Amino acid sequence: MTEKTAAAAPHAPSSKRLEPLRQVDAGVLSIAYYEAGPADGPAVMLMHGFPYDIHSYVDVAPQLAAQGCRVIVPYLRGYGRTRFRDSATPRSGEQAAIGADMMALMDALGIRRAVFAGYDWGGRAACVGAALWPERCIGLVCVNSYLIQDIANAMAPLRPKREVALWYQYYFQLERGRAGLAANRREIARILWTEWSPNWPFDDACFERTVVAHDNPDYVDVVIHSYRHRFGLADGDPHYADIQRRLAALPPITVPTITLDGAGDGVAPATDGTASAAKFTGRRVHRVVPRAGHNLPQEAPEAFAAAVMELIKA
Amino acid sequence: MSDSIDRGRRLLLGAALSGIAGRTFAQAEPLVPSSRRMETLKHVDAGVLNIAYYEEGPADGPVAILLHGFPYDIHSYVDVAPQMAAQGCRVIVPYLRGFGATRFRDSATLRSGEQAAIGADVIALMDALGIRRAVLAGHNWGGRAACVAAALWPERCRGMVTVNSYLIQDLSRAMVPLSPRYEVALWYEYYFQLERGRAGLAANRREIARLLWEEWSPQWDFNDTTFDRSAAAHDNPDYVDVVIHSYRHRFGLAAGDLCYAEPQRRLASLPPISVPSVTLDGDKDGVLPAGDGSASASKFTGRRIHRVVPGAGHNVPQEAPEAFAAAVMELVRG
Repeated sequence: MTEKTAAAAPHAPSSKRLEPLRQVDAGVLSIAYYEAGPADGPAVMLMHGFPYDIHSYVDVAPQLAAQGCRVIVPYLRGYGRTRFRDSATPRSGEQAAIGADMMALMDALGIRRAVFAGYDWGGRAACVGAALWPERCIGLVCVNSYLIQDIANAMAPLRPKREVALWYQYYFQLERGRAGLAANRREIARILWTEWSPNWPFDDACFERTVVAHDNPDYVDVVIHSYRHRFGLADGDPHYADIQRRLAALPPITVPTITLDGAGDGVAPATDGTASAAKFTGRRVHRVVPRAGHNLPQEAPEAFAAAVMELIKA
Repeated sequence: MSDSIDRGRRLLLGAALSGIAGRTFAQAEPLVPSSRRMETLKHVDAGVLNIAYYEEGPADGPVAILLHGFPYDIHSYVDVAPQMAAQGCRVIVPYLRGFGATRFRDSATLRSGEQAAIGADVIALMDALGIRRAVLAGHNWGGRAACVAAALWPERCRGMVTVNSYLIQDLSRAMVPLSPRYEVALWYEYYFQLERGRAGLAANRREIARLLWEEWSPQWDFNDTTFDRSAAAHDNPDYVDVVIHSYRHRFGLAAGDLCYAEPQRRLASLPPISVPSVTLDGDKDGVLPAGDGSASASKFTGRRIHRVVPGAGHNVPQEAPEAFAAAVMELVRG
């Protein structure tokens, strides 16, 4: 099942910004997103993670657009210029919410079907969308395989070496962690980037371009809720109760899927994909991308873009 | 306020050579860490505990109580204890509650790991052994126990040696974040807030201890035998409960044992330490970076010397036994 990708050709990371942004009301959000490529091309939703932003796709998006795709790169709730439309909406970061946001964006843009592609929170949104709304999904590209959270088993410990890497998740359970994130969000993000992508020599300009997205007024609330909810230590938004109930069954993903692991991922170590094999009931290919860390689309854009294109051409 | 360890070593050697303790100190330069076990243990009922402890040195010598930390055991003092005994001290090295062969006498006693409890345990041990005054010396939890006892019961304390200076916890500020690079090192404290952390500690206590030893003492080349000798003390049936309670209580996220409400109330005011003190920081400490001691200066109202020990990590008494023993001997001699 596992394939190895060729080592990526040396590649100069882009210093450009994904601009201009567009803005659309979608469900509970007004979503800021970047769009590239022909309006009538096959659609691709590129979903970013924490603590990153849409510039994880700064080199993927133009490659896909050049090959005829309509590329949509939204800021998740709590990031960048995406805003909640109602101040009373709970600032939930639960998996059901970020998955539903992606579907709401497709509805708002009149996109019937798309390839869902993401990593970290964005990979989870893509998994949620693919599992619950397969009729909307051409195919799935996901870093770290099946990412729907098994909250019922959240209290089962991992090996201590793995737990160390999750320090921020434990920290965020305390009000000290909330205060720390609010006060030191940049420093925390930089530590995580460094830990998670030990082979990625990002520079200050690259980091700064992304981290401004964390100045969103809802960032701290959404992040803290996300990390508490996954451990069963924060209630979900009742609005998503039905979706979360369906996710609790750990539904299989039936659409054609390519899963990627970065060989240098410092938080979710690369696997051969077998542990999650039962969760993919359709065609699924798993690849380990040499050297890449956790932010795989930004670190190995060719490998990520190639996976998306394979699903589009299939 | 600062002093160099070389001066400490000269003082120790000078004192030893001048025969103050009646014995010469033969082991100052490159020391081979001892692979022996601190045996035979003694046992005594003391307060709510039956405390297992190691004793060495003349029964009528000045007493030093050496207090270990987490996740260590009495063997942090394996090389300190004989050096001090050889200089005429009566050395007492107890297993803290939850460690080694120390046991709670009553199954109904709350398995508290709060600072007031571990401090009170030291005084209970002194009472049980008929020791009126002692030098109290420790690192990590043991340093905290020494600080608590020295602050609340100074009449029982001839002097204090701690690693990382003033260790009484300010629970009222427990929710104030540190700079993230320091928070990362406290991963286990945050992990232990969750039931996942409790389950992880219960299942993987050795693996967690080994990670912490390596993180906290990056230059200490301990071997499996050294590690296993200490880690066996964590098989105590109360270890998980006491450790988890300790790390939750300090963040205000677990209630204390009402038994210790009064000392904890006094500790909440962050009482000063008035007895003569020597504070040591390991300059390679991976969890509490070495400082110059000035941040805690106002907490020491008596004579206080602060030293940075070159090359030492968090487990200073085991990594730099001469420096630790020298500090204790200075206070024994007054």
